[in-house]
Amino acid sequence: MNKKITVIPRYGDSFKDKLYLPAIYDGFKVTFKHLFENVSDINAVDTLEYPEEQPTDITERYRGLHRLTHRSDDSIACVACFMCSTACPSNCIFIEATEREDGHDEKMPKSFFIDTLECVFCGYCVEACPCDAIRMDTGIFSLTGNSREDFVLNKEQLLANKGAFGEENSCARD
Amino acid sequence: MSLASILIAVISFILGALLALLTIPVLVWLERRIASLVQDRLGPNRTNVFGFRLGGVVQSFADVVKLLLKEEYYPSHIKMGRWLFMFAPVMTFSVALLAFMAIPFADSLYIDGEILRVQALPIDFGVLWYLAIGAIGVLGVIFGGWLSHNKYALLGATRAGSMVISYELPLGLSILAFIITYNTVDFNAMVQWQSGTFFAFLPAWGILVQPLASMILIVSLFAETNRNPFTVAEGESEIVAGFMTEHTAMKFAMYFMGEYIAMNTASAVIITVIFGGYQIPWVSTEMMLQNFSTFALVLMIVVPVIVGLLIKWMRKNNTVRPTVSTDSGRNFETKVLTIVLLGMTVLIEIILFYLMFFAESALANSVTVMLFQIVVFVVKLMMFNIFFIIIRWTVPRFRYDQVQHLGWYYLLPLSLLNLFITALVVVGVN
Repeated sequence: MNKKITVIPRYGDSFKDKLYLPAIYDGFKVTFKHLFENVSDINAVDTLEYPEEQPTDITERYRGLHRLTHRSDDSIACVACFMCSTACPSNCIFIEATEREDGHDEKMPKSFFIDTLECVFCGYCVEACPCDAIRMDTGIFSLTGNSREDFVLNKEQLLANKGAFGEENSCARD
Repeated sequence: MSLASILIAVISFILGALLALLTIPVLVWLERRIASLVQDRLGPNRTNVFGFRLGGVVQSFADVVKLLLKEEYYPSHIKMGRWLFMFAPVMTFSVALLAFMAIPFADSLYIDGEILRVQALPIDFGVLWYLAIGAIGVLGVIFGGWLSHNKYALLGATRAGSMVISYELPLGLSILAFIITYNTVDFNAMVQWQSGTFFAFLPAWGILVQPLASMILIVSLFAETNRNPFTVAEGESEIVAGFMTEHTAMKFAMYFMGEYIAMNTASAVIITVIFGGYQIPWVSTEMMLQNFSTFALVLMIVVPVIVGLLIKWMRKNNTVRPTVSTDSGRNFETKVLTIVLLGMTVLIEIILFYLMFFAESALANSVTVMLFQIVVFVVKLMMFNIFFIIIRWTVPRFRYDQVQHLGWYYLLPLSLLNLFITALVVVGVN
């Protein structure tokens, strides 16, 4: 029985604490200091003026908008194995496969849609892909559009998205 | 009734209405901006008219337009007392507005033997008016909450009722101590009393003469205005919007604006009763009138300095960071405002110069002093409003039984004790 017991002192019983005003004074000093510093140099406030200033701290592991990768000869890396759409928890990937005639593999997607309004950006599709064909390393965090259809990305749009961190082509298919 | 008296009455009424109504958008904006700056954010700073942002004040006017254009929704479950349900916000609003009207903005003018009060309501029992009218304001809250037939609203109204019984007595008793000290119920006479000194060097402001009563007055006025730390009638986390849960659009806006006018009124009462009103310390109105040329000279030096500092601050802060590509017309705004400010300064300098050397009119001098006092009053009013706002972002809220506890166990005995001592001292001195 040699446990160390820390006795935490209880505050609030002294006259000064019960008076309440010294504590308000201390708090007021803190808030006023922040106000004064920020008023005297408003551009030093550590915020982004968002639409004009874009964030610069997006890391490689940030899950942004999806893209489909290429092989070294610029053909699509995807082999239409349906692993991503099977792994997808929100069922937002729609693939239609077709025969492949450029001599790489047997299959390729004829169409490849991602409904980004359904997508929860969990990254399971990236994990599931055996060909490193779908990635979320575009660094794009805002997608805008005027109708629901604008948010359903097709194969061409996904292929056109560029990786933001150097790696362009698929690492699993060449 | 001479022409001068009618003119002064109309001007002071317009001034009172403007000071009460035009400060609402400014206060709403100040609240949001100061909240942001205290929390290291920026707050609303983008809304503009032709590139003129004025720091973002325009946002409040956009908000008012939004609230005016919103659908006027009337909850169908309220069968009885429809008119009172609609009237309750108006009551809170107009009562707060009326209470402000008894505040003097400058010292009384003496023209041709007539005493002209620079007060929206030229009455000499301002304190009684304020206490009587100010106490009605909470009735609007209680009616609105009761007639909403809504649990949250009813709870909010109950809490508002419990607030009244906790702060009204200490408020009245602390003001009574001031009435005994100043020996008057006239706000203007109170300010005149405070323009003297005591102990030979301290300004005779209420906060120095009656520190205890001043504290009680400030605390109970915080409670009366329903502001933090005494926001018990509404509470996001427990009772949604409290008494105004069922009020929408302009009805809500009435409550909302009433709250800000009440804050403005409370600030005005505090500065009038304990911070010397429209006076600057050590300098009374007679002193300024007797040494008018010195006063004008000091003003001629001080005004450009203040304007210069303001322009310097604006040139530094009305900009965007170098990383932002467009400055959204802020440079242009700074340029125009600089020209306007410089023009006004030059105008003031010319007028003061003329008054100093060429005009020997006592009337012109006293009008200048009056304008100066109005400016001092507005500056003090805004400073105390900012104090109200910073306190809101500093102190956590009281539970409503804690407010009652505070009111009955601490503030009431303290104010009674203070009243007793004040009475003894006043009788002893006389």
